[in-house]
Amino acid sequence: MERSFQSEVELLKLGRGQVFHGEGILAVTKALLQSGVSYVGGYQGAPVSHMMDVLNDARDIMDELGIHIETNASEAGAAAMLGASINYPVRGAVTWKSTVGTNVASDALSNLASAGVKGGALIIIGEDYGEGASIIQERSHAFAMKSQLWLLDPRPNLPTIVQMVEKGFELSEASNTPVFLELRIRACHLHGSFKARDNRAPLISRRHLLHDPDFDYARICLPPSTYAQEKHKIEVRWPAAVKFIREHKLNECFPGTDAGLSAEIGIICQGGLYNAAVRALQQLGLSDAFGAAMLPIYCLNVAYPLVPEEVVQFCAGKRAVLVVEEGQPAYIEDAVQAMLRRAAKIDTKVHGKDVLPMAGEYTNAVVLDGVSRFIEMAAPHGVDTSVVGQVYERLNAAKQKAANLLGSPVPPRPPGFCVGCPERPVFSAMKLIEHQTGAFHVSGDIGCHTFSTLPPFNIGNTVLGYGLGLASNAAVQPMFGRRTVTIMGDGGFWHNGLTSGVANAVFNRNDGILLIMKNGYTSATGTQNIPSSPHQTEFKSHDMSIEKTLTGLGVQWMKTVHNYHVSKMAKTLLDAMTSSYEGLKVIIAEGECQLERQRRLRPRNAARLKRGERVVRERFGVDEDTCTGDHSCIRLSGCPSLTVKSASDPLKVDPVAHVNNDCVGCGLCGEVAHAAILCPSFYRAEIVQNPGGMDRLLHKLRRTIIGWLQPATARTLL
Amino acid sequence: MNGLNALPERPITILIAALGGEGGGVLADWIIGAATGQDYPVQSTSIPGVAQRTGATTYYIELYPARIAELGERRPVMTLTPAPGYVDVMVSSELLETGRALLNGFVTPERTTLVASTHRVYTTAEKMQMGDGRFDSERILKAAREMAKRAILFDMQQASAEAGTVISAVMFGALAGSATLPLPRAQCEDAIRKGGKGTEASLRGFALGYAAAERSSAASGDAKTGTTEGARGQPAAITSQTPLMAEQIRSNFPEQTHRIVGYGVDRTADFQDRPYADLYLDRLRPIVTRDREQGGAASDYKLTTETARFLALWMSYEDVIRVADLKSRRSRFERVRDEVQAKPDEPVHIVEYLKPGIEEAAALLPPGLSKVLLNWAEKRGLTYKLNVGMHIKSTSVTGFLILRLLALLRPLRRMTARYAQEQVLIERWLRAIAAARDPALALEIALCGRLIKGYGDTNRRAKTSMLRILDTLVEGSALPNETARANAIREAREAALEDPEGRQLESSLSTHGITPLPPKPKPIQFIRDAARNRRVA
Repeated sequence: MERSFQSEVELLKLGRGQVFHGEGILAVTKALLQSGVSYVGGYQGAPVSHMMDVLNDARDIMDELGIHIETNASEAGAAAMLGASINYPVRGAVTWKSTVGTNVASDALSNLASAGVKGGALIIIGEDYGEGASIIQERSHAFAMKSQLWLLDPRPNLPTIVQMVEKGFELSEASNTPVFLELRIRACHLHGSFKARDNRAPLISRRHLLHDPDFDYARICLPPSTYAQEKHKIEVRWPAAVKFIREHKLNECFPGTDAGLSAEIGIICQGGLYNAAVRALQQLGLSDAFGAAMLPIYCLNVAYPLVPEEVVQFCAGKRAVLVVEEGQPAYIEDAVQAMLRRAAKIDTKVHGKDVLPMAGEYTNAVVLDGVSRFIEMAAPHGVDTSVVGQVYERLNAAKQKAANLLGSPVPPRPPGFCVGCPERPVFSAMKLIEHQTGAFHVSGDIGCHTFSTLPPFNIGNTVLGYGLGLASNAAVQPMFGRRTVTIMGDGGFWHNGLTSGVANAVFNRNDGILLIMKNGYTSATGTQNIPSSPHQTEFKSHDMSIEKTLTGLGVQWMKTVHNYHVSKMAKTLLDAMTSSYEGLKVIIAEGECQLERQRRLRPRNAARLKRGERVVRERFGVDEDTCTGDHSCIRLSGCPSLTVKSASDPLKVDPVAHVNNDCVGCGLCGEVAHAAILCPSFYRAEIVQNPGGMDRLLHKLRRTIIGWLQPATARTLL
Repeated sequence: MNGLNALPERPITILIAALGGEGGGVLADWIIGAATGQDYPVQSTSIPGVAQRTGATTYYIELYPARIAELGERRPVMTLTPAPGYVDVMVSSELLETGRALLNGFVTPERTTLVASTHRVYTTAEKMQMGDGRFDSERILKAAREMAKRAILFDMQQASAEAGTVISAVMFGALAGSATLPLPRAQCEDAIRKGGKGTEASLRGFALGYAAAERSSAASGDAKTGTTEGARGQPAAITSQTPLMAEQIRSNFPEQTHRIVGYGVDRTADFQDRPYADLYLDRLRPIVTRDREQGGAASDYKLTTETARFLALWMSYEDVIRVADLKSRRSRFERVRDEVQAKPDEPVHIVEYLKPGIEEAAALLPPGLSKVLLNWAEKRGLTYKLNVGMHIKSTSVTGFLILRLLALLRPLRRMTARYAQEQVLIERWLRAIAAARDPALALEIALCGRLIKGYGDTNRRAKTSMLRILDTLVEGSALPNETARANAIREAREAALEDPEGRQLESSLSTHGITPLPPKPKPIQFIRDAARNRRVA
């Protein structure tokens, strides 16, 4: 894993009354233990990766409590695991990145929701929406609505989040329904504190085993049970949920401090946006720092289902309310409209997407703009609306001034391959063969390798989902007069690509080329282990290889190439393109994730240096004298450590290439310079640290001999 | 409401802009630790994940400057995203990211103390340009000073290198030293100690940052101004080493051009010999005469300077002899040691990545033989196939001798094919400059010298672009007058630097009615058409 969670593990041990200081997602993890959960699973992905990571590092606590931890193969696997709570009163929790993970899980989720649960089932979803998101922008809300699962969206402060985890299990059990707990990216990484309680050992666990299997035909998803289940959802589970939400006051109504204003207007917001709404009011002079606002706020910690009585009661008598609901479609706003219309006598005007944007993240600035426009439109008594409008303008004026001063927008800095990343050379090789083959279609996949679509490579024509690269190529390959390439990571391979991709392509006699990036981990999510990882913990199987699996599936054309050998990679790709073999050709591009490699190597080398042992440090460099500053090496690499600097040669106007000290010596620049016959400017330097006697002697000897023959610097004129 | 009135109206907001992997998360943790140690309510958020790998990212912190003990059950409501015009301290680890923060409205004169590093980490978009794609640092610095309530600007990268730590430690020191947070120095240092890992180095970095911020406050300006990139050598006078040459330059060239012409003489003499340097000056003479006649003084003789610059670079083209010579010099060995930060007692081996082939060999032969060899290779399709990838250890005696022996071929250079070829093209370019009646046109043609760069394929493409401009816009008749020509050449030159394939150049030319060259035929290699084969079979 990318980082160790040993110190975070200590947080999980906190007992009653102690204060937990830490991240949101870790607070959720602690809350699971406080809720007596029996099993936890999930699939990694920002922003929820840390939950599985920390639990995997907390094996002793898990063993003590008897909790089962499963690293699921995919989100579908994680959702299906919740099946344990259908027949047995065990609490279970799973986690993944949404909406992509929820998409993958939806088959199992639908069945789970239909069957209903006895034990509390909680699904913690990291809503990857807005700044920093790495996926398509959609809402998870729709999944809750279509399957009748309940959706919690807690106010982003740790005590509320923790409380909602605990209440979430109770809600699930009270209504026999699985519950989503939605956390936005920033809420997952919110650093705050809450008062802990003792961990609770579950009644049924690895330590207290089940003995009698339960059979109940009503819980099988097959007609006629499925008809009864749908009815049960509507007639029993939904009302039970609404009753529970009301009775336990899961939604919060914060009264306004100004009676006049409170009688006129109010704000309804998703729990996750409460803080932004309060800040906006504070900026407009309508609230203090503690959220004591002049107008009332109805905070929906449960985003679905809504409680009609509460909504109607909140709106009754008001001229206007604002619904602050992030994303589209505007399910909550539409539902509020409908509820008010049904409750005949209420003619409160409902604002929402008319003053707030339909799409995009609701940052503080966006909410401020929306709230001030709402206040202007509603024009309540006692508020100077002309001042309200100016606040937003004043705060945002700096943008224009800065734009004028800078003259042009600054270049973007999107994420990219790390220094020394083993995936980069593969794309360098692809760029190189393009000169011979012409452009070819590349079906992309999800993983760090998706960065190939960005400059300088711009390789990859489509991205259809995790592990779905080869499947997405199925109709592309037959439509081309030449072979096409699919990229897949080893993470994607085990997640989905093995079946929907490789098995299917072999079965349907796809003639394309599949390139599997075998870097050993799901690197994009924080280098978690996968079945083919080079090093496994004692809790995992050790002997699962991609090569054996492919052979077993009937792949006959398979070559393994070490990534950093750019020329060889290029040649293998050309071979695959021109081979007479008809059928799937698989190239396994082998090179361990550099992040993980360095994480192992650095401390080891540091320790050896400390002990005075000989360590050879390698890095690359560019000769400034011979570099002409055309930067073709950069266009074939994009390595962060291969950069530019002003030439110290006063004649040269353009910057020269330069390798900075972040270089890990992977050798790609040299390989590319070779493979592309670029230029002679690259050199590899081997620095012998703690040199031995032999090193010193040889070095001295060489220096002396070379010294006799070596010109000092530029020739002097006679 | 009385109790509330005594309390601060709002939290202090801190936004940190950093690049993935710079330790911004650690910095946020330190701030949290220090604030918690002082019993202040504090909250931080970030957006880690794959989105952060080497890319721009931010950390946002709110700190309410009243002790929790005084608040009873009340807690401030703190937000998760920064708002324009509402940031009290903007901390930035890199200059362009400071620019981004400015554009997002996070730095405002009423409120924001800016604590930022002046060094640059270039983006891919900037680095991959064929010319100079770097964003103007001075503009950002100027805007930063203007937009911030107070700007603490210094090179944090340099400070972190000095302290042997990561940049986040220096940022934390500068933040603490800016005295914008109610966190005493000892408390901040405590937070670092509690964090464990590399504590000593972090504390050194913290101290450097702290001192720089304090200095800045005292001077009410920058701790250190300007960018970090070393100032270019600025010799006051002519560098040429012989009095005779220096005299020649002095008497024949205006003073404003002495620096570059001096470098040019040195370069050409270093490349070949004294007569070659004489040739260099001879070639410049008609240009300077023309420049004088056309009132070049008004533009500081830019035409002469720029021609002198690119002529020197072109005349010292990089052939095998030159490369071997440059790579085997003592100054170069020393520079490498310096660059890779080797300690004095550490042996450094240098391994060169060379891949000479038919072209490089042919370049060394006399023109006639060279042609024979190239034709032979071309016919057999071997032009690019016989390149030999070599890893020469230039710090070993054998490797060094190989390089030195190649360098010793220098006296024979005038007989080589490449020499002849380069001189023809150089002469053609110079004639075009001298023939231009309009000074602006002459300058534009001279500046086309910037296109000539690279090795092998890159160099060939560069020359193709140059020839294309000479053929069409300079010597062709597509344009009505010299002003139009000058403009067209400038556009074409910039277009030629847009992409290595010359597509932008062709599209620029086509706006003047010049028929674009057909794109190079591709693919060269036969790619199996599996579907059709199957049908035939």
